[in-house]
Amino acid sequence: MSTETESTVTESAPDTVATAPAASDRQSLRQWWAEHRRLRRFFLKAGVLLALAWLLLVIVSAIFAPLIAPHDPNAQDLSHVNSGISASHWLGTDDLGRDVLSRLIWGGRISMQVTFETVGLALVFALVIGLIAGFRGGRVDYLLMRGADAGLAFPPLVLALAVVAVLGSGVNDIALAFALVFAPGFARFVRGQTLAIKEESFVEASTSIGSSPTIIVIKRILPNVLTGLTVGIAIALGAALLAESGLSFLGLGPPPPEAGWGSMLEEAYNTSLFTHPWSLVPAGLVIALTVLAFNTLGDAGRDTVSGTPVRKRGSGRPQRGLTTVSRPAAAVAAADPPRTEPSALLEVRHLTIEFQTEAGPVCVVDDATFDVRASRIVGLVGESGCGKTVSSLAILRLLATPPARIVGGSILFDGQDLLDADFDDMQNIRGRDIAMIFQDPLASLDPSFTIGFQLVEAIRLHEKVSKAAAQARAVDLLKSVHIPDAARRLTAYPHQLSGGMRQRVMIAMALSCSPRLLIADEPTTALDVTVQAQIVELLHELRERQELAVLFVTHDLALISEFSDEIAVMYAGEVVEHAPTDDLFARPRHPYTAALLAATPGVREATGRPSLLAGHVPQAGHFPEGCRFHPRCGFAEDACREQPVALEQVSEDRQCRCLRQAELDLPGVGVVIGKSSEVDPVGAP
Amino acid sequence: MGRLILRRLLSLVPVLLIVSFAIFFLLALVPGDPAVTLAGGVSATPAQIAHVRAQLHLNDPLIVQYGRWLGNALHGNLGTSISTGQSVSQQIEARFPVTFGLVVVSAIVALIVGIPVGLISGIRPQGAIDGGARTFSTLGLAIPSFWLAVILVSVFAVHWKLFPPTGYTAITSSFTGWLHDIILPAIVLGVLVGASLARQLRASLIDTLDTPYIRTAWAKGGTRRSVLLHHGLKNAAMPVVTVFGIQIGYLLGGAVIIEQIFSIPGLGTYMLSGITDHDLPVVQGVALVFVLFSMAMSLLVDISYGFLNPKVRVA
Repeated sequence: MSTETESTVTESAPDTVATAPAASDRQSLRQWWAEHRRLRRFFLKAGVLLALAWLLLVIVSAIFAPLIAPHDPNAQDLSHVNSGISASHWLGTDDLGRDVLSRLIWGGRISMQVTFETVGLALVFALVIGLIAGFRGGRVDYLLMRGADAGLAFPPLVLALAVVAVLGSGVNDIALAFALVFAPGFARFVRGQTLAIKEESFVEASTSIGSSPTIIVIKRILPNVLTGLTVGIAIALGAALLAESGLSFLGLGPPPPEAGWGSMLEEAYNTSLFTHPWSLVPAGLVIALTVLAFNTLGDAGRDTVSGTPVRKRGSGRPQRGLTTVSRPAAAVAAADPPRTEPSALLEVRHLTIEFQTEAGPVCVVDDATFDVRASRIVGLVGESGCGKTVSSLAILRLLATPPARIVGGSILFDGQDLLDADFDDMQNIRGRDIAMIFQDPLASLDPSFTIGFQLVEAIRLHEKVSKAAAQARAVDLLKSVHIPDAARRLTAYPHQLSGGMRQRVMIAMALSCSPRLLIADEPTTALDVTVQAQIVELLHELRERQELAVLFVTHDLALISEFSDEIAVMYAGEVVEHAPTDDLFARPRHPYTAALLAATPGVREATGRPSLLAGHVPQAGHFPEGCRFHPRCGFAEDACREQPVALEQVSEDRQCRCLRQAELDLPGVGVVIGKSSEVDPVGAP
Repeated sequence: MGRLILRRLLSLVPVLLIVSFAIFFLLALVPGDPAVTLAGGVSATPAQIAHVRAQLHLNDPLIVQYGRWLGNALHGNLGTSISTGQSVSQQIEARFPVTFGLVVVSAIVALIVGIPVGLISGIRPQGAIDGGARTFSTLGLAIPSFWLAVILVSVFAVHWKLFPPTGYTAITSSFTGWLHDIILPAIVLGVLVGASLARQLRASLIDTLDTPYIRTAWAKGGTRRSVLLHHGLKNAAMPVVTVFGIQIGYLLGGAVIIEQIFSIPGLGTYMLSGITDHDLPVVQGVALVFVLFSMAMSLLVDISYGFLNPKVRVA
């Protein structure tokens, strides 16, 4: 759309419109502001202004045609036939020497009258039908709605033609005919609104007080319907004009001298197609521009009403399937000091990720550093909003650009920097070397393809095997994740499986090519507790069976303690502590870790210690100066507020980002809580 | 799938009844004495008026007339034309393939134009092609089909003489002749529908490519082709199919105008001649066939939707 201008981007605050009839003053003020802002945005679009200006011009000149038109539209001047543009005839003359501009202005009277009359009549019909249907319900509703279906079953122009055939083609007859075309669609909308409002307890309450429900519904419905229909009305106006012009073009329009734009075009077509083709342009152009103006208002109105930002995320062309990396060359060199120690399978170093927002780029992950060694299970833990999911998606370059961009650091997998990889490199690594499973298995499986298709696809993307062989392997994979009746499940669609089953399918798909690293992004969050335990048990079992490193992203410390070897804790976009699981639980080094431990359900009850974790994770873009945790930290000193704290190696296998880590003696939980809790052994559900 | 089709067919029955009722009762809307009006107005002789009255059984109660008309229609008899005395059903039978051919070729044009354009601009929004595509689809929704027809005729038929400005060759006498005659009208009809298809597909594809299952497809190591064309297009197609179903109604209506402009002897020109001649049986018969045609097309679209969407199919 031409109306999508750069200025219209995300509306940051969710505009929750208060529905309570007695909203407080503050709320209504806020609401007014929200609406005002939307209105302003609506009018600020260049296309909307142009459309409004054009419509104003057309309507005003139609109303004041006798004053404005330079000539009598029907005055023939046979000595100046088909003359070109001149000072007295701005758009030339037609085949009978009549002034084209004057005819357009007078034609606008007819075309606009039919157009507005059509939509007005359609609205009246729709209100009556929709209100009765919605309010009476039952048989009346059924009949009226089947009637509406019948109206919609007609090809629009055919219905109008049939009515015009018997009524004749006066201005009002045509408007009536087209009103019948537009009414059914509107009527359905009105009925829907009526039903919705009827259901509201507010109406029920008023009925019990004694006021007539009909009056209430009409009072409530009229404004609702009219605002709800504004978009529809604008589009219908355009469609009505198109239809009216079409009818006139067929010679069935209002008879002369009441000639609308369509009739003008028909005359030009019949008389001048071969001799003066340019005479076809003015009337057609005026129709097209007017329809375009109506449509522009409708589209802009839709964007405004629905509040859907034109561009959901930042500006710029989306890069499909690969997060953009733009690292300064110097930063790359600095981030990669030569090292002698045996390298881990996955080394994330100083990973920095920015999101484009309305307010400019915001750093969401800053200096995330952690390793995953072969065959180890590493938990990546933190409160929501700390950047753990974003970091995990960045490894496979799965973040959408825009808004995301990786602006610094490196991700070494088996010594290869994934941030240097191009699409084909990444495509080879994904699914084969590194696989990933996600939080919501229903949303993450393609609803339009069978489980079998998706599994076979995963195998055949990386291995040249026959379809039959891949299918056999798919069955084995499903068996290995304990899905009963595996062969039959291949033909099932994701929606036919339970949540736990779907996640098992996701796991089977992820493991189809025996990857060396599995990234699991909150894989159990969307599942209920018993299923959660089964999935965790399954992952544990699979890790025992094949050589597999797992990066397990979660907010649930208790869960991850059950089976991880190491834990990396993230806070406000940074890794703040990384340690073997038992050590971390026994003696946390970072106050945030200690606070998280204390806040873990089960620990609080067991130890009777109060939660140390007050306040919220700061939002990206609003990270505090100095140590990012200092505003919530009970141990913060002046030094903590002054400058950023670096992640230090505090012992052979521990890292911590705290100035006071050496002096503080933070309470742990002694035993790893999860290991004492019972987990149901997995079995066939 | 069979049950889905059956259910859809059954739900059409009440709608069809109402449609037939409405079409028949056009007669009741005729101003004045229908017999006089239909016989030609004030110039009609008493004999002509009596003939019309007898032919349409205008002396019977309306509901009896409706019953008779519906009964005949169910047997494929749509009455005889008042002005020519020919059987309406036979005329429709002869002209239906013409309109059907035009609509099918137009629909193909719409798909050929709409799918690639929508696909490219949905995959690469904000690109140069997308800019052009969006301008095209915005204009396509605003430009009257008859104006486009007139312009194309004056450019391609009158100026460059690539196509005949009007005329029609039956497909049975010469396929290439038929195609040559029908291609310009079909382009006019199809391009505009293609414009709105493209617009729909673009929006739908942009939403689809933002979903978690597309992220999964990338994470599996999907190639651009498999992710965008298999997973993306199939899922994005569903809302587009619905829109296409609605568009077919517009195609049929548009066919009336286009047939008239290009002098194609289809149902549309027949209906228009019926209107000019006040030949009500012709108007009623063609209107009924148009509705049936349109319903059959949207049923087809519904069924293909069932194939695309497994949730509908098994439900």
